[in-house]
Amino acid sequence: MGSQKRIAKELTELVESPPAGITVKLADEANLYEWKVLMDGPEGSPYHKGKFQIKLVLPNEYPFKPPTVSFATKIYHPNVTNDDKGSMCLGMLRPDEWKPSSKIGAVLEFARQLLSEPMPDDAIEGRIAEQYKNDRKHFDEVARDWTRKHAS
Amino acid sequence: MNIQDFLAFDPEVNSDHDMPVDLRSLDFVSSYDSHLMCPICHCPLIQPARLQCDHVFCQKCLRSAITTFHSADSEEFPCPSCRTPTSQVSTNVPRLLINMCDEIQVRCPFLAEGCQEIVPRGHVQSHVDKYCGYRPLPCPDESCDKMTRKKDLQREERCMHSYYLCTRCEQDIMEQDYEEHDKELCPSLDTTCVDCGTTIPQRELKKHIETCAEVVSPCVASKYGCTAKIRRAEIATHEQSCPLVSIGPYFESQNTRLNSLELTMRHLQQRNEIFEDGLSNIRSTLLESARASEGHRGSGRAATDGERDGQNQVDDFDDLTNSSNVFSSNATTYLLSLHESLREEVSQMSHALTDLDARASMTIMNECLRIKEDMAHTNAAVNSVRMQVQWLMNPRLHNGARAGGMRTNTSTAGTESPRSQLTSTSAPGPSQAAGPSLGPLRPRRPSDSGREGTKL
Repeated sequence: MGSQKRIAKELTELVESPPAGITVKLADEANLYEWKVLMDGPEGSPYHKGKFQIKLVLPNEYPFKPPTVSFATKIYHPNVTNDDKGSMCLGMLRPDEWKPSSKIGAVLEFARQLLSEPMPDDAIEGRIAEQYKNDRKHFDEVARDWTRKHAS
Repeated sequence: MNIQDFLAFDPEVNSDHDMPVDLRSLDFVSSYDSHLMCPICHCPLIQPARLQCDHVFCQKCLRSAITTFHSADSEEFPCPSCRTPTSQVSTNVPRLLINMCDEIQVRCPFLAEGCQEIVPRGHVQSHVDKYCGYRPLPCPDESCDKMTRKKDLQREERCMHSYYLCTRCEQDIMEQDYEEHDKELCPSLDTTCVDCGTTIPQRELKKHIETCAEVVSPCVASKYGCTAKIRRAEIATHEQSCPLVSIGPYFESQNTRLNSLELTMRHLQQRNEIFEDGLSNIRSTLLESARASEGHRGSGRAATDGERDGQNQVDDFDDLTNSSNVFSSNATTYLLSLHESLREEVSQMSHALTDLDARASMTIMNECLRIKEDMAHTNAAVNSVRMQVQWLMNPRLHNGARAGGMRTNTSTAGTESPRSQLTSTSAPGPSQAAGPSLGPLRPRRPSDSGREGTKL
């Protein structure tokens, strides 16, 4: 009950003053716990000009349990699984690192930050991380190509 | 107090209010400082509690945080803000903080019932308990299960849930709402139009304003500068006389033309910029090439210094370049392009050369390998032939040696002359002859004897 109040509050805050490049709405008006986030690829990254759909699911125990962030749009990124789920690996979302005082806005901004600066040392897709570290040019090319194909 | 005590101590359980207000679902009139916000529920702190790390939360939020994060066997739990392990909770929070939180203005929770009151949050409980007239209470009539507003209850002390029929709008209205309906809300009530002063029923007001002849509106040409504000009835006559209305369409077309011209201007500007860039590039390359040719001329003069004919030639060349400097744009670009194409050809040639070189060395190496292999084969064959010959030779050698020994024996017997012995030994042929000649070589190859032993 208390969680709903807080979620509604965070949602209105994010809808009224959205962070740069991020638009937030509910996937289903009746369900506060599933959000649809539209994120613009940050400038200067290979994802620039792409529009990425992100699904943000809040657990019933929110804010005591972390939300899960997954990409509905396919993206070539070392920290996003390259499958249908597209789950994102964010350090602050790990159960042992999550703090109830963290806000969803902060989570989304962190996710967008991760688009401009991937963290290959904390990667979930080892192959892509390897390429990011050793062959940056090729990585950028593929990421740009995927962005054009899937996120425009 | 420690965690267990804190969990056991819950002031909300034994509160004496008959209708506790949920302070979290209140509607806040003004925005409040985010520092007064509980990091867990994002509401202004309610009965705050403080941890050892000085972070403050609502007691209720903290309690649910502890039950989520605290493992039963440990005395500590991580702070929801900074994850510092904490074992002590203090409900002793600065009065200042509580006062600031309680001072925030909120709406009465019974806004939906009609209470417009705005009170500080600290007073909202007492407002609801004692003063709010809109708080729903059970109907005094035992047979009626509806709720009645407190103010109606105090006045009438009877059930007010029977329906009345409004005589004007023919709607069923509950008795408790009837007074308000009769005075303000009934759509059949008359109102006056602010512009024309006629009295009309409330439900027709909207329609009336759309058509009211007295409504004052600005002239349609107001965007071109007509300041006249006229009543709707006179608008037609004004439009006929207003010069700005008649000139309006012309302005419109001019505006669109201006817009399109601006657009083309912008395009042309961009193109112009591109061309200017190109021109400056060409100019700079020309300047460079001119400088280069000048330097070339100077060196040429130095080389032919002293030689008259040469000097003349150089002078001619100077004249030529001087005159050509004027047309240098054509000549130099041509030369440059020629130079460029030549350079390309040369590089192609060098490529071809290296290619050829690589191919030739490859074939040579292949040939060498093949020949080497052949040689190894021949070597092996020769070796095996040698071995066979040796093997064939060996028995003869033995025979020869034995015959020799016999002959020496017979010679000591003295029947034949040494000379006939010599001829007899040489008679059988060269192979036989080799036998005795090899005889004296034997001691030189001691290994031969061993080999004979193994072979035979």
